[in-house]
Amino acid sequence: MKQTLLAILSLFAVSSFAQVTLLNGHHVLELSGGVSTYYNNRSLKPGETDRSKDRFKLRDAQIELEGRVGADFEYDFKVDFADMAAQNSTGEIDPENPGLMEATVTYKGFHFVDIEMGYGKLYYSRSALVPFDFSPYWQRPELTRGSIFSTRDVGITLMKNFWKQRANVYIGAYTGLGELSLSGDNDASGQLEYVGRVDVSYPARYRYREIDDRHSPIPMFSLGLNGRYANKKLPEGEVFPDQATGEYGLKVTDGKRYVYGLDASFQYMGLSAQFEIHQIKQEPQSPNDPLFQNLTAEQTKGYVLSGGYIAQLNYFIKPIDLIVSARYEELDLNDLVPGNSQRFSPAIAYQINGYNAMIKAQYFHINKEETIDPLKWDEQYRIGMVFQFK
Amino acid sequence: MRHFKNYMVAGIFLASCGLSAQKAVRLKPIRSVAIAIAEPSDICFNAKSGTFFIVSDSGILFETDHDGKTLRQVSQKDADFEAVYSDEKNVYAVDETHRNIYIYDIDTFKVNRMVTIPYGGGKNKGYEALTYNKSKNGFAIITEKDPVYLFELDNDFKTLNRIDLSKIATDISAAAYHDNFLWLLSDEDMMLLKLNPNTYEVVGKWSLPVINPEGFAFDQDGNLLITCDDMQRIYYFNNPEKT
Repeated sequence: MKQTLLAILSLFAVSSFAQVTLLNGHHVLELSGGVSTYYNNRSLKPGETDRSKDRFKLRDAQIELEGRVGADFEYDFKVDFADMAAQNSTGEIDPENPGLMEATVTYKGFHFVDIEMGYGKLYYSRSALVPFDFSPYWQRPELTRGSIFSTRDVGITLMKNFWKQRANVYIGAYTGLGELSLSGDNDASGQLEYVGRVDVSYPARYRYREIDDRHSPIPMFSLGLNGRYANKKLPEGEVFPDQATGEYGLKVTDGKRYVYGLDASFQYMGLSAQFEIHQIKQEPQSPNDPLFQNLTAEQTKGYVLSGGYIAQLNYFIKPIDLIVSARYEELDLNDLVPGNSQRFSPAIAYQINGYNAMIKAQYFHINKEETIDPLKWDEQYRIGMVFQFK
Repeated sequence: MRHFKNYMVAGIFLASCGLSAQKAVRLKPIRSVAIAIAEPSDICFNAKSGTFFIVSDSGILFETDHDGKTLRQVSQKDADFEAVYSDEKNVYAVDETHRNIYIYDIDTFKVNRMVTIPYGGGKNKGYEALTYNKSKNGFAIITEKDPVYLFELDNDFKTLNRIDLSKIATDISAAAYHDNFLWLLSDEDMMLLKLNPNTYEVVGKWSLPVINPEGFAFDQDGNLLITCDDMQRIYYFNNPEKT
């Protein structure tokens, strides 16, 4: 058994997964990318017959170009061809896999503050900011994967770090339509969304990672505060672009929308844990907005609350290159509707060559669901392989 | 599916049992000091001056005393210094991003020469370590990871040989030739390695209880100094071979 396994693994365990860099003394261009494929199997509820999700799926087919021109300019361009092919055939954008993943330029010439412009990750939510390449999971938590609030947008971000990079501040203005901003136009309100984040770590800089793969010899902590605001009151008779409100109708509001959240992370000797909580307060301008669930203004008080939290525990078994992780998530899509949903998802990832080549397996279990978001399944298994030249 | 997962975990466990590594001795720092150098990435000791040279990610070369107090400094625009080595005449600072070695006159702190050693690997996985291997009468420059390559260079920085050291550590962040051995530091493994300088066989290893160790040097008494990038500190250890 042992010899058979080693023989199989040796087929994958080539020594070099390095990306390629081109440089001319002033301009440095780095090329990287990756491919990942998984097999998915769902356990359907009684009476359900659609087994179309039992399939292999090409999750990623990415190319990334990262560069630096002189000392002042950096750029990042990342595209996923698997997502684009999927969008061409379905016409839908998966917010976690939007096709164009990053197209940003950062200017560092001011020194007191860096400025990033373009389309890319919003600095809101630690969970959303952790690069997916470093995750043992096949899917991010529902709360932070882009279906409740957007995780990418077009706009401008000012960023600054302090205290030996232990404290980071990000503020920015964006179109506010999230991944749909790439269609070009804003919605009819013409208003922007404003996003800010502050995080502080101790006793050292804490990167946006979930796994303590270095087995930190001293305990490390990080705490982040996030906020975002948009007032997108649509003119009479106007509606948001198709898909703009997202799967749950929460990503933009015809009115005022506040989102605020807290995230915390800890790691020590291979053990790491994350906790994150977010709340959305929406104040639709119309008393007949579907978010109000046909309730009266006296009952709703003019606003709707949504949100949830995630708790995740991980351990990296360094001697055998194995990550084990478990995640619990609770969501309340609308406080005017009784009940919430609860999900549990453990994952395991075996590193053939660090994060560059991994076999990952994830189990999804729906403990409880909301009446406004009924699902056809209650369990799901996903196993596959990630390969990256990074 | 459940059975497959069980087999996979069991197989990985069995495979790991055959990979028993040489046991590393755990070192304990005797003290540490905070230094006013942002992101210190490497340090070397100069026996002639009795001082240390430290380089930083922002392209600054510092000369310091034993406590990390800055005596001199010089800045290089558009450089990410990740390795430093000095001899009686020069200080050599390695710019990881552009694959350059800046050769500073040790007295004037002016750049005498700049040498480029092409390498097509990752932008941030380029040269992280430089030292002079007296056993081979040439320089040794080492890439950080994916893969870890040691390039043997002659005294005019011409590449003579390439050795793949990927199996000895996840990454390499610094190197020094000391006491007739080649010593390497791994940041991600938090490990100090002692190698035969001719065969590159690992003959000793010590684990380090510090976050992000990026550089190391031995002082005139053979005691060990480790610079930590994230903590912006120098940690002091007794001679590891006498611990």
